[in-house]
Amino acid sequence: MRDIALRQQILTTLLLLFITFGLWAIAEPLLATPAKWLAHALLTLWLPDAIETTIFEPEALLVVINFADINGIVRQAVPNEDSLALRLNTRLVSYGLPFYAALLWGSRINNPINAFACGLFVLWAAMALGLAAMTAKDLMLVVGEPFLTMAWVPPPAVLAVSYQFSVLLMPTVAPVLVWVLQLRGSPLWKQLENQVAKSQGSA
Amino acid sequence: MFKFLLTFLTCLMVLFTVELLNPVQAAVIQPFTAALAWVAASVVLPFDDTVISSGRILRDSVSGFAVSIEAGCNGVEASIVLIAGVIAFPATWRQRAAAILLGFIAIQLLNILRIISLFYLGQWNFDIFEWTHLYLWPVLIMLDVLLVFALYLRWLSRPDPSPKHA
Repeated sequence: MRDIALRQQILTTLLLLFITFGLWAIAEPLLATPAKWLAHALLTLWLPDAIETTIFEPEALLVVINFADINGIVRQAVPNEDSLALRLNTRLVSYGLPFYAALLWGSRINNPINAFACGLFVLWAAMALGLAAMTAKDLMLVVGEPFLTMAWVPPPAVLAVSYQFSVLLMPTVAPVLVWVLQLRGSPLWKQLENQVAKSQGSA
Repeated sequence: MFKFLLTFLTCLMVLFTVELLNPVQAAVIQPFTAALAWVAASVVLPFDDTVISSGRILRDSVSGFAVSIEAGCNGVEASIVLIAGVIAFPATWRQRAAAILLGFIAIQLLNILRIISLFYLGQWNFDIFEWTHLYLWPVLIMLDVLLVFALYLRWLSRPDPSPKHA
């Protein structure tokens, strides 16, 4: 009986995952749009000399860069020259949204709609950071030295770790962290609080 | 809560960065990933003798379809999340070690199921393979980590069975 809140959470989350993933499969282009706006703002502020513009595509963000490929050599583009573009799969960073929705709607928390709206803003920000990390990694691999010597560009090792973190961990860890922070007051939170109090009392 | 989050995020970043170092990849991660492919093949072999494992690659000798187990597919990142959570939560080191060991096994058991399911999904429908590989399975593995951590908290709060001495 004492585990009812945890069991309820896990079972409801598993059931809701089918629904939320289904909705996300259909509506991803719309759901990822705020993250694309944020990524555009972030990239043009951070790398104004490398980024020309971004184009929103369904399920992708096309980042047009200020570099051109001339006979296999990538160099800074001159006006009226065809620029290169990087195509980023936004689903790689947005699949945390259905996970977060399933976790949140599987918990009996107060004001779930407000919490969900706040959580979405945080996750869109995390997604924008992820898209920026993906862009930086692609720039490092496609453009190389001319990009790495630009102002405000961190060392290659930092870019590589940021990319891996953004793709491998962020989409699943960020929703869990946001959900845990919003869980306060729910039956599951009270159960966990009791367990923590007991464990610290017996330590 | 703040202290837990800070310790968790610090441990997560440190362990994740260490995991990506070339010597750690060469000495630990890649041999472990190859062992995982071998275990997955050994589980499937009694039911399907066309499966062959070679290094990190699992291959069907008839269709020629193969999957290569790469970073992010070996359950190491999920284990790192669990380890960071366990380290960040107050407990004795013996309790932490037990939780990390059993949690690692729980994650890897589900991960072997993931590898096997993807191996067959890929032979059936590549679009569904991609979708489950990139989006659905990472979420299920993280749910497994959450469950293991919640069970660890319950285990920590159990009454002490050792007799009290006056």
